[in-house]
Amino acid sequence: MSIATAPTRRKRFLQASADPLIALGLGVAYVVLLLNTVDNLGYARDEGFYFQAARSYGAWFELLFKDPTTALTRASVDRYWAANNEHPALMKSLFALSNLYLFEKYKWFSDAGTAFRFPGMVLSGLAVAVTYLWGARSVHRGAGIVAAVLLGMMPRVFYHAHLDCFDMPVAAMWLITTYAFWRSLDRGLFFALFVGVLYGLLLNTKHNSWLLPPALIAWLLIVHGRSVWRGMKVGRVRVPTALFCMALIGPLVFYALWPWIWHDTGKRLAAYVAFHMHHEYYNMEFLGRTYWKPPMPLGYAWLMTFATVPAVTLGLFLAGLFSGARHFLITHLRRPVSKLFARVGKTLSPRTLTRSDRRRVSAEVLWLLCILTSYAPWISTNTPIFGGAKHWITAYPFFCLFAARAFADALSAASRSLPKAAAWWRGVPLRLGLGLTAVAAPTLITLQSHPWGLSAYTPIVGGAPGAATLGLNRSFWGYTTGAVRGYLNENVKPGGSVFVHDTAMQSWDQMVKDGMLAQQVRGAWSIESSSFAVYHHEPHMSRVEYQLWVDYGTTVPAHIGTHHGVPVIWVFKRP
Amino acid sequence: MRALSWLWVGLPLLGAAELGGQLWASHRAPTQSEWLAVQSEVQSAKAPEAAVVIAPSWAEPLARAAWGEKLMPLRDVARPGLDGYPRALEISILGQSAPELESWPVTQEHSVGRFILRQRENPAAPRVQFDFVDAVSEADVSETDGTEDKPCPWQPRGRAKSGGLGGHPTYPAARFNCPSGEPYLVGVTVIDDQDYRARRCIHAYPTQRGPLKLRFADVPLGTELRGHAGLPWVLVRDGGGAPVRLEVFVNGKSVGTHEQRDEMGWAGFRFKTGASPGVRGNIEFRVSSDSVQNRHFCFAADLR
Repeated sequence: MSIATAPTRRKRFLQASADPLIALGLGVAYVVLLLNTVDNLGYARDEGFYFQAARSYGAWFELLFKDPTTALTRASVDRYWAANNEHPALMKSLFALSNLYLFEKYKWFSDAGTAFRFPGMVLSGLAVAVTYLWGARSVHRGAGIVAAVLLGMMPRVFYHAHLDCFDMPVAAMWLITTYAFWRSLDRGLFFALFVGVLYGLLLNTKHNSWLLPPALIAWLLIVHGRSVWRGMKVGRVRVPTALFCMALIGPLVFYALWPWIWHDTGKRLAAYVAFHMHHEYYNMEFLGRTYWKPPMPLGYAWLMTFATVPAVTLGLFLAGLFSGARHFLITHLRRPVSKLFARVGKTLSPRTLTRSDRRRVSAEVLWLLCILTSYAPWISTNTPIFGGAKHWITAYPFFCLFAARAFADALSAASRSLPKAAAWWRGVPLRLGLGLTAVAAPTLITLQSHPWGLSAYTPIVGGAPGAATLGLNRSFWGYTTGAVRGYLNENVKPGGSVFVHDTAMQSWDQMVKDGMLAQQVRGAWSIESSSFAVYHHEPHMSRVEYQLWVDYGTTVPAHIGTHHGVPVIWVFKRP
Repeated sequence: MRALSWLWVGLPLLGAAELGGQLWASHRAPTQSEWLAVQSEVQSAKAPEAAVVIAPSWAEPLARAAWGEKLMPLRDVARPGLDGYPRALEISILGQSAPELESWPVTQEHSVGRFILRQRENPAAPRVQFDFVDAVSEADVSETDGTEDKPCPWQPRGRAKSGGLGGHPTYPAARFNCPSGEPYLVGVTVIDDQDYRARRCIHAYPTQRGPLKLRFADVPLGTELRGHAGLPWVLVRDGGGAPVRLEVFVNGKSVGTHEQRDEMGWAGFRFKTGASPGVRGNIEFRVSSDSVQNRHFCFAADLR
């Protein structure tokens, strides 16, 4: 008996663990790729502020482990957690712990900057893994793999995945929470409680989290509106338990993990909300015009998506959306659609709504709502421009999930179209071939975009040269200093100093500490005290270049960092 | 549904097209070594008094780095406008042309590698006789304390000072230092205009007590004084600053006033000198404002 069942058990075990293993493999591969490409990516402006905050929080953790009573006093909490209190604590706490343990204590990393960045990379790897899991569960394994690769191989995703910032982490946490919520629908209370905890972590990652509940409520009304209404009529509220858990546990986790709000909670929370509701306007070039105050162009987010997400990904997303809409119409809106068909003399064959239909619609409506809520702030012309794709990056995993659906449709259509004689080709070769055609271009675009992530544009707008001609933003955050480090290390002699321009001094100092910049490449705050100067191009920054011309007495850059022939950062040397 | 059933054909086609597109996009613009290689051609094609104009303008830093100050001097790169040039040499890549040269007829055109070199003539054919920006060190500058003029001495080698992104334009090393101290100084600097383009001009910060005066003696008056003026755009683009007046005197007689308001950006002006061709005389500029906060007024002018 035991002999006979052993292979079946092994098979079952393998089947059950295949998806988690593939997900793990994809996630780990992505993190390895990120670690292997992080060396020449200079530290962005905001990373410098988060390094500083993480160091402060790290000191508090050390105090907490040594002397918890003192660490928990208000004086200690306020002293260590005041830094960068306009953002919640989860990621900066992880950055701090990663630095304390993976760099300072265990020396897993040779530099602090990579240790600070590591938690963001891990979360990005998790996003890739969970995209696979959801794609595999909703569509099939091959489609899941395509979805995961398409997410990792978006140039902007790849850029942000390297950073010690919150943008890919919030995209990952949003995806993980939503996936767990969806899985909780046919699971027990424990899973629902887990969703509550996840939402607390999402709240503690970044303020994009405020948009998830509206998406879930809209999903509930669209997918389960009738049963909710029926329940309400008999005085029973039939809402997924996970939603209650999110509402109850989420805020508790959020509070517990952010020491800054342990004291003066109301006042500090109000300040946190106010900071983001009244965020200052940044300058942003869009179609040749620099916007620095409202109204913001309505097409900004959409056109930037069009210009920076590979066309294959966008095409598959649109096809998947179309396929999903069609499925929704013929399953959930069958009656009105039949009537419409009848009017044009056509009939819709009878069809019973299956569990699989319901699950598909349930997932796809959720994906669409996550996309729409991620873009919703950009419908208001008063939403400040203070960045680019990172602000709607939470939508991107869901683009890829729709793309997975389209990929599966393409695969089955191909399978149907191939002649019977070509049966062999319908298996692995077809999946592999079609899969490669889906991921090849996005992979090339993304790998070529490094380390110029924010200067990279897809061929649909003519690449970086086309985008520069169209007047789309070329650079942001002063991170491209890393791309000219070779010139600086070679040419700045001891005693020299470099005007840092848009690179935050904290980021510059970290590059020196980590050996990305040589010790003698000291940062200078002012042009007049510098012997070299970097200039990160944005139109409104041009005046800094003009100041350099007059002060240095030359208009000739000594070195230019270009991406596909487009100047992004240039270095001046005092004659 | 027919559309979705063809997706398996469309996907490889789109994938191949995008792959090809990426290879094209990543190599379509000239490399820095190509910019360097075309230098001698540009040098021999550039006629005297011609401005070198790069199209599209984003590629200009590459031209500056490759060709140096000789072909791309500050005077031309940060020109007040093209109307003072009799001709231009347009260097075009990616099939682009400079919008500011649209009305200038092409007299000659040839290709070198991925570059097109176009000779263009200014249809207005100006004859600039005197450029005040070039000759600023010859001026006699003074500020007034309300009762009398106080000279601003010329300092040829001081220490330049820049204000950074949100600050003042660079106070040049060579400048007239007025008794009121910084920012009350006169010298050649570069400001940003409403398109964030560079404009080389004379920084002339007015004082609260009376006009700042710049006198140029014995200059060829021509028949017309033309110029541009502005305030650094990033500093004034939100508006709210007091207007700055630039009054021009020819031999002691006022010939016109230009009033510069924040929202105007880099704006042109022109006044008749009332002189006959070939006559020399004195020009005085008086710069004033009712409220001088953040008034980094800057102007460029010439006589034609």
